[in-house]
Amino acid sequence: MDTPQNTAPQNRVPQTGQVLHRHCSIVPPYLLVRLAKLDDPRFAQAAAAARHSLLRDSHIRELRGGAHPLPQERIQPARTPGESDRTISDAGGQERLPGRQVRTERQPAGPDPAANEAFDSLGATQSLFWTEFGRDSIDGLGLPMNATVHYGQNYDNAFWDGERMVFGDGDGEVFNRFTISPSVIGHELTHGVTQFTANLEYRDQSGALNESISDVFGALVEQYAADQSTSEASWLIGEGLFTDQVEGVALRSMKAPGTAYNDDVLGKDPQPDTMAGYIETEDDNGGVHLNSGIPNRAFYLVAEALGGNAWETPGQIWYDTLTGTGLTRRSDFAAFAAATAETAARLYGTGGAAHDAVVTAWATVGVVVGVRSELPATEFASPTASGGSAAPLPPE
Amino acid sequence: MKVIVSRSGGMAGIRLTWEVRVEEQPDPNTWATFLNSLPWDDVTDSEAGPDRFAYRIRCAPHEVVLAEPQVNGPWRDLVNRVKAANGM
Repeated sequence: MDTPQNTAPQNRVPQTGQVLHRHCSIVPPYLLVRLAKLDDPRFAQAAAAARHSLLRDSHIRELRGGAHPLPQERIQPARTPGESDRTISDAGGQERLPGRQVRTERQPAGPDPAANEAFDSLGATQSLFWTEFGRDSIDGLGLPMNATVHYGQNYDNAFWDGERMVFGDGDGEVFNRFTISPSVIGHELTHGVTQFTANLEYRDQSGALNESISDVFGALVEQYAADQSTSEASWLIGEGLFTDQVEGVALRSMKAPGTAYNDDVLGKDPQPDTMAGYIETEDDNGGVHLNSGIPNRAFYLVAEALGGNAWETPGQIWYDTLTGTGLTRRSDFAAFAAATAETAARLYGTGGAAHDAVVTAWATVGVVVGVRSELPATEFASPTASGGSAAPLPPE
Repeated sequence: MKVIVSRSGGMAGIRLTWEVRVEEQPDPNTWATFLNSLPWDDVTDSEAGPDRFAYRIRCAPHEVVLAEPQVNGPWRDLVNRVKAANGM
């Protein structure tokens, strides 16, 4: 595998004894050392960011482990299938959900870009799922799409909480607001779709598949809205999310995992692009945001091989696999690969171009269809930055 | 004695780590008392929600992994203290 030393920014440890800059953001401590050396006023606001962006209040419910949520009983006017039913709320910088309602389906755009971006991208996501796959919203039954923007202070994240999408504003120095990227919004909504379908356990390989599926349909939301073919699309997740102070184009690249950013501050994108680089780690629920690069690239390779629009044949294969009966909650890469190959054969013919493209793609990323992969034994190094301890600073 | 807080996950999948060496703090006794008071043995496994942060907190011989929704009460206090000691 790629050695972590070459790929993981976590390995770039500062020298002991260096004084950390009084900043706090998504930037790891060892990187703050570099920031401190820069003495750059552009980063002045990073200080308080992460403290407030990290944590959330206790009243957000945890996901109901293992079970598919029951469809909510709703009393509402007759609804035309496929029509979106969006409600955007504003947390106003608090960590309380849902926040104040600011826009519903039939209301016009307001002055807040974040609310409008969330509204528009939820619509784009509904459009893709309904028009191309015949899926009516997150649960397939027209579940209202609820989102909250302006969650927390300088909150560097977006997530699906089991019932709604939640978007932070970022810290303004490393991250812009998370609604800025349609692929991020499509990613979060797709977590809801996965919850109602394969419900892949959010850990290890099944978790990396859960992540990858969100990236796949997040990318397709952008491509579909922009009418971009496979060759025209960026295949980036979270394009525009980094501020212009970061040397990077996006959070992840499906076409070339590991190349989305390479920054003096953030380090290098650590995603592997084949099983040879598979990262064994206890962090990030077993590296779900890292190893997702492998199935992400497999999807891209299918799209590249088939050409045209990725939401057509490739998207249909992935969608039917996600919503079919071939997966369990703990399916691993090999099982998912086998399920996609079976779906491709069933939909487009055994030995057809689609089936061949799927089998070849998985082989290219080192996943043998239906055979559990031998994982490299290398542990993902987990160093700690110690710079802060040498010069303790009082709480603010 | 040291305490290490590592945050991983999130939509971006970028890891942050903060560390405090208790004996180097201006109030090491307060730190030690606080660390000993934490409910290390009461942590239960919690399924993480998609794209939530995950926290690993180490203070030998203890090590716990908390999902973001579990970082409340004394754990949230700990995370804030460790970050503050790192100047954040």
